[in-house]
Amino acid sequence: MTEFDCSGTLFKSPPKSLAAFLAAGEERARLWRPEELGAIFRHQMSAPILVDLGGFDPATAARLKMISNAQNLLLKSFLDLLFHPSPPIELLTMAKDFAKGNMEHPDSALPNEVAAALYYASIAAAYVRLDRRITQLGDAELKRGLEWAKGQPWLEPQIARLFEEALQKLAQAGSNP
Amino acid sequence: MSSDSRASSIFPRTDWAELGPAAVADTARLDRLIRLYWAPLRIFLLASFPSLKDQADVLLQEFAEDKMLKAGWLQRADQQRGHFRDFLKISLRHFVLDRLSRADVKHAPVSLDEMEVEPSGPEETAEAFDLTWVRTVLAETLRRMEADCKDPSAEQPRRGRIWEMFRIRLLEPLFNGAPQVPYEQLIETFGLKSPTDASNMLLSGKRIFKTHLSRVIKEYAGQDAATAEEIRALEEFVARLARKMP
Repeated sequence: MTEFDCSGTLFKSPPKSLAAFLAAGEERARLWRPEELGAIFRHQMSAPILVDLGGFDPATAARLKMISNAQNLLLKSFLDLLFHPSPPIELLTMAKDFAKGNMEHPDSALPNEVAAALYYASIAAAYVRLDRRITQLGDAELKRGLEWAKGQPWLEPQIARLFEEALQKLAQAGSNP
Repeated sequence: MSSDSRASSIFPRTDWAELGPAAVADTARLDRLIRLYWAPLRIFLLASFPSLKDQADVLLQEFAEDKMLKAGWLQRADQQRGHFRDFLKISLRHFVLDRLSRADVKHAPVSLDEMEVEPSGPEETAEAFDLTWVRTVLAETLRRMEADCKDPSAEQPRRGRIWEMFRIRLLEPLFNGAPQVPYEQLIETFGLKSPTDASNMLLSGKRIFKTHLSRVIKEYAGQDAATAEEIRALEEFVARLARKMP
């Protein structure tokens, strides 16, 4: 473990570094740089569902565990969930709620862009794989959100394709009411 | 105060046995504060009176013993809580001027005007003091934070990793110009299970830092409101200085 020479380092540091440090120390300061969003999103996709969604109340957490382990579904990560041919709707809804909670919380641990991408990805997966809408967003609003998500440069191609499929389905539904 | 710390006190001439318990507590507190903030006081003294360079430590020692230790000084300082820094600066300046004035009358080798030279101007002198003060406060805060996080008796072993994350992510890049460690490497180094895990670790580091910062400042600023005001004042001062001297 490397030592940090507090006094020696601080007494050499210019006001600019001190100001940047004090600003970065604020809880609401950005934790991650924009170019890190891709890595963070990939990590979120590969994260065990139970780690993040396990933060719900005990009864929900127990149900979550049961669902994710049921019928030998290998729903270990968010990526597994989004790309399962028939993902449990309850789990997708929980993933969407988890993402929404992070989007709306000022002290959220997840970068807002990553949380928003996960939010729309959960909605897109339910819509594309199960033909279910797990959101109350209207078509126009949903289209705007999916297009925003699809346009994120740091997004994995397979996730971008999921958004594209959802957009196509939404367009078809709009032309065939 | 133990006999060891008394022996190394900056008040060596003080007869501790004669002081009552309250005075011992006050003196011990003063001793700690002056020891901690010796560097900004010295810088302020040298910037205000450059010709006193060779006598700076002796003068500071006398200032601490003859002025600050006098009954009522700390109480007056306490009444000025939130402005402790200014009170210290003004007290030291008055003390030195008083000493110079007396020396002037006795020997008159150099005039007061010559002694009190402020080549960089009073504003710059005050800024030099405040900047060193901020550095001292932050260095002490980080020293305590590191010790706290690495405390082997602490019940949360995760704290050692929180300090490491805080150091790698914030301290090294900002103060030592170290390259940012890629996020993937952070995952590997800290065995992070998810981004929320990573963010929570960093947020915890920030909270621990804030806690120690408040404690360090509260030791001289006093109540919570004055401490919060002092934190804001230091942040604003450094931000203003950064704009001025990038």
